[in-house]
Amino acid sequence: MTFSILFAVVAGVLLGYTVIPPEVNRYIGYGIDFGLCLLLLFVGIDIGRQRDIFDKIKKMGLRVLLVPLMIALGSIFGAMAGGYLLKVPLKEAGAVGAGFGWYSLSAIELSKHSPQLGSLAFLTNVSREIIALISIPLVARYIGGLESIAPAGATAMDTTLPVISKSTDGGIAVISFITGVALSFMVPVLVPLIMRM
Amino acid sequence: MNILLYLIIIIIGAIIGYRDLIKPGLKKHLGKLQSYSLLFLLLIMGIKIGLDRDTIKSFGLIGFQAVTLAVFSIIFSIAAVKLVSKHVLKEEKAGQTQNDI
Repeated sequence: MTFSILFAVVAGVLLGYTVIPPEVNRYIGYGIDFGLCLLLLFVGIDIGRQRDIFDKIKKMGLRVLLVPLMIALGSIFGAMAGGYLLKVPLKEAGAVGAGFGWYSLSAIELSKHSPQLGSLAFLTNVSREIIALISIPLVARYIGGLESIAPAGATAMDTTLPVISKSTDGGIAVISFITGVALSFMVPVLVPLIMRM
Repeated sequence: MNILLYLIIIIIGAIIGYRDLIKPGLKKHLGKLQSYSLLFLLLIMGIKIGLDRDTIKSFGLIGFQAVTLAVFSIIFSIAAVKLVSKHVLKEEKAGQTQNDI
């Protein structure tokens, strides 16, 4: 699946860059929304077919929130470690990492500090989403289902959820949605907070 | 944020799946339909990125930095989740890889 995903994304970028006229950009949002809604319906069907999912999630209780918490810590400290190697100020690298893949919001928030930091936040989080799409099937197969939510970050509730659902099962898909929602709530709080430290 | 819309769609899907409302003929093709819709969505997402000249241009300048930060975030996140995954999934087995494209 990783290869098909990589092929689709790369083919799209090349088509967009070379063949497709820029006017299409105005309508492309509708295409993405429609495709996403259709895929989320399929995710729902997968969830519904596994009848014991909700009992399992209930048994997990609040433990399930450990997943977004660990992803948040991993993303921020991971970005700081990367920033240290690149000589990017640790605070800025951490704030970029706290975008958790939600590129539009983190970029808007950080461009208040400097346009360069905004661009870095945008590109880092776009890259995170693309790398997540490609790596999720591999992480699910070789490391574990729950771990496959980690690359997705905040996108675990929308764009990467269909890939997670397809690579794992309905139970992990439910945890993924919860994780995506929790991380999405953290982005607007953590990004400015880290910059203020 | 469309969290509510996504939730509603997933719940509608879950009801369809739970009540087994899909015709057997369609059920057979559901996996394939899902894969093709996914690849179509990814193609459009790619087109959106390709159309954005500013993104492509800045990728040439700070792409290495961006990819490095993203990769470190992802690796540390996976490691962090791995630390707690056994505790979170107590009483149930980890997700198994199902169908592949």
